[in-house]
Parts: sequence; C-alpha cells; structure tokens
Amino acid sequence: MITQETKNRLELLQGTLDLLILRILIFGSQHGQGIARAIQQTSEEELLVEHGALYPALQRLEARGWISAKWGVSINNRKARFYSLTTAGRKQLVKETTKWKRLTAAIGRILGSRAERS
Amino acid sequence: MFRRERKRSDFNAEIEAHIRHESERLQEQGMSECDALAAARRTFGNVTRAEEQFYESRRWLWWDHSRQDVRFGLRMLRKSPGFTIVAILTLALGIGANTAIFSLIDTVMFRMLPVREPQELLQVGVQDAQSPSDEPDSWFSNAVWEDLRNRQNVFSGIFSWSRDRFDLAQGGTVHYVDGIFVSGNYFNTLGILPRAGRLLETADDQRGCPGAAVLSYGFWRDHFGGAQTAIGSMISLNNHPFEIVGVSSPGFYGVDVGNKFDVAIPVCAAAIFDEKNSRLDNRDSSWLHIIARVKPGVTPDQRKARLGVLSPQVFAAAVSREWSQREQQFFLRLSLVTSPGATGLSYLRSRFEKPLHILMAVAGLVLLIACANIASLMLARAATRNREIAVRKALGASRSRLVRQFLTECMLLSSAGALLGLLVARGGTALLVRYLSTEKSKVFLVFSLDSRVLGFTVASALLAGILFGILPAFRSARVSLTSAMKSSQAFDSERRIRFRPARWIVAAQVALSLLLLVASGLFLRSFVKLSTLNVGFDRKNVLIVHADLHTAKVPPEQWLMVFDQIGARLLSLPGVVSLGRSVFTPVSGTAWVQTIHTDWSRDLRGNAAQAWFNYVSAGYFETLRMPVLAGRDFNDRDTNTAPMVAIVNETLARKFFPNRNPVGKTFRIDAPPTKQSPPIEVVGVIEDSKYGSLREGPLAKAFFPISHVPRHGDSEDFVIRTATPPMSLASAVQVAVAGVNKAIPLEFSTLTEQVDDSLVQERLLARLSTFFGALAMLLAVIGLYGATSYLVAQRQTEFGVRMAIGAPQKSILGLVLRDVVIVLAGGLTAGACLAFASLGVLQKLLFGLAPHDSFTFIAAIGILSGVGVFAGYIPARRATRVDPVVALRYE
Repeated sequence: MITQETKNRLELLQGTLDLLILRILIFGSQHGQGIARAIQQTSEEELLVEHGALYPALQRLEARGWISAKWGVSINNRKARFYSLTTAGRKQLVKETTKWKRLTAAIGRILGSRAERS
Repeated sequence: MFRRERKRSDFNAEIEAHIRHESERLQEQGMSECDALAAARRTFGNVTRAEEQFYESRRWLWWDHSRQDVRFGLRMLRKSPGFTIVAILTLALGIGANTAIFSLIDTVMFRMLPVREPQELLQVGVQDAQSPSDEPDSWFSNAVWEDLRNRQNVFSGIFSWSRDRFDLAQGGTVHYVDGIFVSGNYFNTLGILPRAGRLLETADDQRGCPGAAVLSYGFWRDHFGGAQTAIGSMISLNNHPFEIVGVSSPGFYGVDVGNKFDVAIPVCAAAIFDEKNSRLDNRDSSWLHIIARVKPGVTPDQRKARLGVLSPQVFAAAVSREWSQREQQFFLRLSLVTSPGATGLSYLRSRFEKPLHILMAVAGLVLLIACANIASLMLARAATRNREIAVRKALGASRSRLVRQFLTECMLLSSAGALLGLLVARGGTALLVRYLSTEKSKVFLVFSLDSRVLGFTVASALLAGILFGILPAFRSARVSLTSAMKSSQAFDSERRIRFRPARWIVAAQVALSLLLLVASGLFLRSFVKLSTLNVGFDRKNVLIVHADLHTAKVPPEQWLMVFDQIGARLLSLPGVVSLGRSVFTPVSGTAWVQTIHTDWSRDLRGNAAQAWFNYVSAGYFETLRMPVLAGRDFNDRDTNTAPMVAIVNETLARKFFPNRNPVGKTFRIDAPPTKQSPPIEVVGVIEDSKYGSLREGPLAKAFFPISHVPRHGDSEDFVIRTATPPMSLASAVQVAVAGVNKAIPLEFSTLTEQVDDSLVQERLLARLSTFFGALAMLLAVIGLYGATSYLVAQRQTEFGVRMAIGAPQKSILGLVLRDVVIVLAGGLTAGACLAFASLGVLQKLLFGLAPHDSFTFIAAIGILSGVGVFAGYIPARRATRVDPVVALRYE
C-alpha cells in the first residue's frame, strides 16, 4: 500500500532538499521528524522525502553554519534534537529562493511557450 | 570557530527519536504499535546508510580511502614480489641516474656559495665596449686590481683571488696542494670565520709581505690532525717558508666550484715565488679574479654608471707602454661590468654545461623507457586482475575509486624507487666526479640533498608513477563486468584488443632506445676517432719529467748547464732510449702564440698571422718520433751564442712561404714598435702535429732551440722515450736528478696520460651515453620480450587449437614473429626519424663525423633489430611447443 503511494509522489530534485529545510525552519525551530512531516504536508503530500535522507542534509547545513541544533523536548514530551535557522541561514534562504524562482520562471516560460505552439 | 565534534551515539539517538515520533503519529491515526513502528522505519529508509553518511561527513574521507588504498596496494605488491622488485629496481636506476646528473648540475650551476649573503656577491668582469655581446672576461692583472681596489666607491667590499698549486715537498717528487692567492679582504668580505687562529687580513697583503698561510679546515684536519700547535708553525710552499696563522671554518672550500683550497696565501706572496718581474708588476699577466659585494643603496643602474666612470681611469693606470699601439688602444677601450656571483666561479660550468644538459636529457629518456616498461608490466598484471576488479565493481566501487587504487599502487612503487634511487644517486655522483677528474686536475664537489635536488627527485618519482600508472589504471576501470566474470579465457576477443596499447608502448620504447643508441654511437665513434687520431707524434712509452729549477733556487744563468747535466745523466740510465727537452709538451694546455711575418705573407694580419711556438732541444723530435721532412734537426751546435734558427711545420711553410722551400729563408717575430726582432732562419721542416688539443685544425708551428728560450721563471719538461713502461723509470730518474741537485722538484707524467686527459668531456659523454644507450636497449628488449610472452600466453589456447587442426609449427612461429617485426619496424622507423631530426644539437660535441652519420644509424638499427627479433623469438618458440591437449584442457 505504501509502495503504491510512493509511485505517485514526486521525487525531489537534486539540491532542493536544503532549500526546503531552510524554508520550513523559518517558522521556528523544529526536529527532524517534524521537518519531514512539514515538507510532506505543505506540499500536500506531493513530495516524497525519504526521512533517512534528511539527516545528512541537516548535517551538511549545520556544518555550513546555516542552521544550529539543540536537544530539547517535543510537545509529546519526547527528547528530540531541534534545529533552528541562523542569520547566515536566513540570508542563504533568500538567495536560494530568488534563484529557485528565477529558474522555475525561466523553465516555466520555455515549457509554456511550447505548449502554446502545439 | 571551535565546533564540538558530534558523537555517533548522539546521532543514533536523534534517529531513534525520529522513528518514535513518526510511529506515535501513526498510532494516533489508529495503527497498532507494531505496524506503526514498522511503517516509521520504512518511511525512514535505510538507517545504516544514514549512519554511514553521517560517519563519512565527519571525516576526511579521502584520507581514510588513501589509507585503505595504501594497505591494499602493499598487499597486492607483496603478492607479486617478482614484479615489485623488478619495477622498483628499474625505477631506482632511472630515478637515481636522473637525480645524480641533476645534483651535479645543481651543484655546479645553481648552488649558492656557503658564505654570508651570497646573493649580494658580484663577479667583476671586463668587456670590450665595442663588442658588448661577448662573454665578459674575468681575468685581471695585479695593476688593474690594485687600482680598482684603491679607487672604487661602488661596492661595500671587493677582493681578488687566484688558484694555484703549491709544492709541499722540498725537492724530489712534488707533493702539490691546492692553493689560492687571496687579497687581504677576501675572508672578511665573504664573511668567513676562523676555526682556529685568525684569517688573512688587509695587513697581511701589503707589498713586500713575508707571507702568511691560512689552512682550510679539511687540510688542517687531515694534514695536521687538527692540532692547535699547527697555528704558528711554518709550512714550506714551493720551497719558501710560510707561517700558518689560522684555519678557516669547515664547509668553506673557496669560491670556485669544482675545486677546493688547502692553503690560502696573500696575493703579495706571489712576489716571494716570482722574485724578479713578479706577477704583482707584470702587466702582461692577467691572473686574478675579482669578486665584489653590493653596496647598500647603490642601485644596479648607479653601479653601472659609476663603473662607467671608473673604467677609463683604472685601465689608463694599468696600461703597459711596452704594448703595441693597437694593444694599448684596445686595453683603454675596456670597461668593467658585473654579473651575479652568488654561485661563485666555475670552469666546469662553461666546459661541461652542454654535455651535462645532454646527459640529463639522455637520463630522462631512459627513465621514460623504464616507465614504459613498468606500464606494460602493469597492463599485463591488470589483465590478470580483471576478476578482482570486476568483483570490486560489482560490490559498488566507483570508477574513480578504482583508478585511485591503481595510482596508489604506482605511487608506492615510485616512492620506493625514489628512495632507493637516492642511494643510487649518491654512488652516481661520486662516479661522475671521478669521470670529470683527471690525474692533474681533480674535481672537488660537495653534494648535499638540498631542496632543489629533493624536489627534483620527488617530482620525477611522481611523474614516473603517473606516467606508468595512468594507462593501466584507466584500462582496468573499463573492465566489463560480464566478460570478466566469465571463467573462460579462450577466444576472448576483447583481450586481444586490450593488448594493443602495450604494442604502442613497446614501439615507443624501441623508438626512444634507437635515439639513445644512435647518440651513444656518435659519441663513442667521436671518442674513438679522437683517441686513435694521428696526432703527429708517438705518445706511447714517453715519460714526461717536469723539472722546476726556479723553485729549486738555481740562478737562471746556470739553468742551461744544470739541464744539460741532468740530460746527460738521464740518457745513461738503463731503459732510456732517447730524450729531449722543451718548455712545454704537446696537449698540455700551455700555449705560446705570437704573430710572425715573412716577405711572402704581407696580406696575413691578426689571427691569420699567428704562429704557435715551442722551444725544444736536440733529440726532442727524435724522442717524439716527429719526422723532419726537409733540412735538419736541431743539434748541439744550436747554442745560445749561435744565431737563432727555427724548424717550422708544413702548415707554417705553406702559409708563410707559399710555393717555396722555406729552408734557408727567414721570418721575423712581430715585436713592440720599440724593438726590432732579428730575422730567423728556417733550418728544417717537420710534419704537422697537434699542439694544444686533439680537436684543433692544422696550426702554423715554429720550434726554436731551447738554448734561446727567454728566461722568466718558466720551468722545463724532459721527454724521455723508454724501453719499459714509462712510470717504471720514475724512481731511477729521481735518483739521477738528485745526484745533480737535491732541491729540484720533479713531477712525473706520461704523454699517453696527458693526451687521454685532454679528452675528459668526450670520454664522459662516450662512457655515460653508451651506458645509458645499452640500458635503454636492454629495457626496450625486456619490454618487447615481456609483451610477446604475454601475447603468447594469452593466445595459448588459440595456438593449441590451430595446431590440433593441423597448423605447422612454422606458421605459429610466423604468426608471433610477424607481430614482433611489425612493432620493431614501426619503432625503428619512428626512432630513426626522431634521431635524424633531433641529433643535430650534438654537432659541436662530435668529432670527425656528422650527427646523421649513416654508419652509426645503420649499426644502431642493425643491433636493435637483431636483439629485438631474438627477444621476440624466445617466446615465439614457446608458442610452437604448446601441447594442443594441454592447451585445450583449459576449456
């Protein structure tokens, strides 16, 4: 049943996971599972994120100083590692978002024009 | 910023928390606890992989991988010790030879002197302002030196020096030590400190000085046992006592690279040896080198300007009125120039620069051939490792990882080769120095592993490793999984194709080794031609005895008498066939040139009118077996009271007496305008012979009776033709001379030795290039043999099948040999073209043959193809012996 579900979902483009994580964290600190949930929910279950893949990405972002991490307690009273956006991360998010928007706009224009012609 | 290292357990805890959160969420949606946990794990994916990625992100992964690669590489190399040993030895030899030659070049050309701030030193030279492109001359007369020293305001320090040798023995067989004359501020300007006592100072170098000596540290240690008592004691140099005032610091050998000094004495002491008309006053004698230290604040342009002002003053003060008008004008036109002096001065530099560069290129090519050999060995090995590689690939090794693993193995090999090569280089440099040295001029060089040499070795090892590793590495990474996993080795078409680069490699090896063989053949033939050249005299069994009456303090007016006495005693010695005397002997490096004229040579001017002089006694021509073609030989009646006569050689006769018989005619020596030289009658003509070097063309030579030799401090040589080996007479000669005067220093040599010593460069090139040429050929042949053997082994089954269905042995032999011949022919053609195109650079170093001498080419091609076919024949024979049954059983 889950395999069925997976097939219909979109796989993430390379490098976009970082952007999504940064974006999710803009609403405040969150733990790994929460981030994964948030991506899935916000995308209306369209995007597929293998939860395991999240952690290397978090690791990478932390190493670059864009996010910071702290152990805390979640709402259901469990220990969890909470990630939050740093100032550098905020800047990076702006930069990446602009880039992404330009890219999608450009790609959209190309794909759109072809559609008109045909 | 400091960042805390995150622990693995911390990461695992985080993942654990994640899964719990997820499963709790799913439970809230109504799943059972067990299902929820499983689902949470499923959505998480591969936990181990996440952990692994976390692990990898923390470290320098490449370091980890490198360590693995090194460990694995070592294991692989240990598994095939034969290959490893051959590869390492080949590399050691190749890298060692390159390092040896480079370190010689480095020591001679680039190494800075071990003195204070060597980069501040300047070599002072002299240049004719009218031809500024000429290499500046670095010799000065004492008059120029003294005036420059007193007048200069350009440098912060300036000193002069000159190399000489001093005889320690007081009579009898000479015992020379390497000496230098140094001006008073030599040690001070260089910043050399005394090891014991004091060094020479300005006060030691004043006209009329008593003479003081400073010993080098090495000489003090070896000769005086490093005893403090040596300071203040006397040392006899050329039979004159000098007080030892101190010892210079260890590691300082003087400023001329290639020589050392044992004893340093002040410039003023030249007067002690020379007495009348000493080198201090003789303006004809340019015997000093000058080195200066830059003055802070004086820019190179200012220095040039100031020297421009200084030069006319200095040369005006040092000109000699004895010279002809033209010579004086030339002298006054000279100007002082400076060039960087940080590396000191070395005669080796100009003399051996080109040969050393050629040897460097040759050694580089040998290393290249060696790399090619190892590359083909690696290729063969890579083929046998196909399965291993396929397994690693199947397990997920990336291509880059495989290539890196291969290159790591290569680097291991080349590093081991380089380490061993450093040892080879040590032996090699010692051998090179021995080849550069002759009995009379020993080359002294101190080699050290400086950063340049080490850098060179490391770079050549790296380059070699990449060169021989890159091809096998990339080929192995292209191994196809399916075919490699199949066990059958039979008609594997891919294998044959894979073999192709090995053939290219072997062909390239053959081409390069042909190039080296031709070069070595050219050098060898030049050397043989030179050493078997008709020199115009018979060099065998001639003992040369250099007798120095000046040092023995015999008054010049008695010289003739003493020499005659010695001559008479020597002639009566058993074993002496004949003897003669001359002021110097052929090919000894001494020359006496003056311009002459006759009534028929008015149009000869300058160099064209030069004649090479020597003064010889009766018996000289007979002893050297130089036939008198016309007229007479000198005899006892040619005394100093008889009129001056001359015997000329054919070239002089032809040039100055065209189409005439010169006997009975006269010529005059060009003299300063103040003097008129008397006409000299030609009494005989002798055959042409070599004078200064074996390479010279025919020179106009004139011989005069030795009784007429102008006396100014020169000594004379006896030439003695012996019935037994010449050196066996040395002790008898010494006893006989001591019977006349015990104080006469004697130096013995043979004419054969003297002629041979003039061919140092040619011998060096011939020896080393032959060695390298043979080595290159050996490597290429081994390569060919290896490649053919490999091919035969690969096609064993095929041959077995062929023979089983009736192919005769001959056709199998032909099959293999055809491949060998194709490779050889390709390589030889390429090599011959390469040699033809590139060996023109050798032109100047050859003698008596052109760089594209056809005999040498044909011989080299013949040898290489003969040896090559033989190397291919052995494995080809093996192919024909394949037993079809055994070969097919593999299937």
